[in-house]
Amino acid sequence: MSILGFDTATQRVAVGVGRGGQVLGTRSLAVERQHAEQLVPTIRDLCQESSIELSSLEVIAVGLGPGLFTGLRVGITTARTMAQALDIPVIGVSSLDLVAHPLVGIGRPVVVVANARRNEIYCARYIPTKDGMKREGDYEVLPPDVLAAELAENDDQWLVVGDGVLAHADAFANCDRFESDDDHAMYPSAAPLVAIADVRMRRQEFCDPCDVHPLYLRRSDAEIEWDRKGR
Amino acid sequence: MTLILGIETSCDETAAAVVENGRLIRSSVISSQIDLHARFGGVVPEVASRAHVELINSVIAEALAEADVQFGDLDAVAACQGPGLIGALLVGVSAAKALALTLDVPYVGVNHLEGHLHAAWLQDPDVALPLAVLLVSGGHTMLVAVVEDGRYQVLGQTVDDAAGEAFDKVARICGLGYPGGPAIDRLAIEGDARSIAFPRPMIYEGLNFSFSGLKTAVLNHVRRNPDGDIRDVAASFQEAVVDVLVHKLLEAADISGAATLVMGGGVAANSRLRERLTEAGAASGRTVLVPRMDLCTDNGVMIAATAWWRLRTDGPTSLAGGANPSLSLVSTR
Ligand SMILES: [Zn+2]
Repeated sequence: MSILGFDTATQRVAVGVGRGGQVLGTRSLAVERQHAEQLVPTIRDLCQESSIELSSLEVIAVGLGPGLFTGLRVGITTARTMAQALDIPVIGVSSLDLVAHPLVGIGRPVVVVANARRNEIYCARYIPTKDGMKREGDYEVLPPDVLAAELAENDDQWLVVGDGVLAHADAFANCDRFESDDDHAMYPSAAPLVAIADVRMRRQEFCDPCDVHPLYLRRSDAEIEWDRKGR
Repeated sequence: MTLILGIETSCDETAAAVVENGRLIRSSVISSQIDLHARFGGVVPEVASRAHVELINSVIAEALAEADVQFGDLDAVAACQGPGLIGALLVGVSAAKALALTLDVPYVGVNHLEGHLHAAWLQDPDVALPLAVLLVSGGHTMLVAVVEDGRYQVLGQTVDDAAGEAFDKVARICGLGYPGGPAIDRLAIEGDARSIAFPRPMIYEGLNFSFSGLKTAVLNHVRRNPDGDIRDVAASFQEAVVDVLVHKLLEAADISGAATLVMGGGVAANSRLRERLTEAGAASGRTVLVPRMDLCTDNGVMIAATAWWRLRTDGPTSLAGGANPSLSLVSTR
């Protein structure tokens, strides 16, 4: 069973391929805003290197965000359309889950914090269990200092991780920050995406291509403004 | 036989079409987002981008079904790569590149403006060159001389608002709905076009356009005459726009030696503009060519048709290509 997975929710593009429960290859590259330029060639190259024929794919997994709106649209449109042409299902996984997933071994509760710009962050909290990281509560969008204050109030020893922590180093100065020499750990990566998709595929937890949607968490400015004016 | 799927998502239409050999329209599906943007009085880029993601795959499926074509039958996939709204463009580009990779066929990134120009050939394959083309919509107001296929000369464009934008803004001033073009067109029929002397901006100043001052003149007039007949405002405003557009298109034809006047874009639906253009053509001994409305407005057919020609002259576009919101029209010959 071949799986292709990719995430475009941050300023990175992460792509991975797997077969029979094994991750065969991954790529992660810093793209700034060039998701559309980089994603398809990276998929092509990685599949070639890993000897994965696109026609042998049984599912496409994609990071749903929350994150950069344009990046998400590029990734999700690519996933939906490839799956549509191949007539295979899609599995959507939150991009925050992809940051949390590899940290299960640390054995501590983790808050994944992604940069949402406009002095806000996207976040979600995870508890390690024997079945992997389990999310507690919803995905949220809020100011970094509000999250930092909430974490300071309870003594659960939360570990903060993600590119939102890098972007708001001051706000999280007094939090326990996840440190790693590998800065990929701050971004959603493709290996957990392929691994999660493999498990879900076996459980038949997939959907039609058109049933995966970006996790925006925020409405468009025009809609927010519309409601604010109370029209 | 070459079958090309063309995808167009540069603004607020999600469109896809299958065209055979660059000419024969096998299918054309256009899903308009007008209702989504109506309450905002104009196209909201983020709202448009989100809608494209939700619509694109069903529009593609419909275009294939209507053409009675399978994915495997396609010889190339094309998308509009600009100009337009960047977030909106990237949805179409991503879908087209995903298909090209998956089906192992060429990808072709198409210039939206070149697409509009190709609508003339779709309507009349034997049209005599050179052409003087007026592209006029909510997104563009532009005069182009088509010297030969692939050789274009941009003679003039708007320095501020597009003509269609001016229609939308004036419609809002007059308390009419969105889109403004059809509303003003309807109302103007009952009004007196000579009742209010609105300015004809830049009419004798070259081939560029400006509509922002005209919009302000309408606003000031309506404020000063709150009880005036709105039908007269609509008719007089419309006449001012049409005067400028027709005058400059004729001037463009003189400069380029064009025997054929072509119009494209959503504003080409305006009944007064069509009437005046027809008169102007007859008076100056020129042929007038206005493609049928679904080829004038944004559509996938023009993208697929242009791609067919592009593919033969320049070959495929790299899969590393992106979108360019301000892509300009450049001659390729
Ligand atoms: Zn257009």
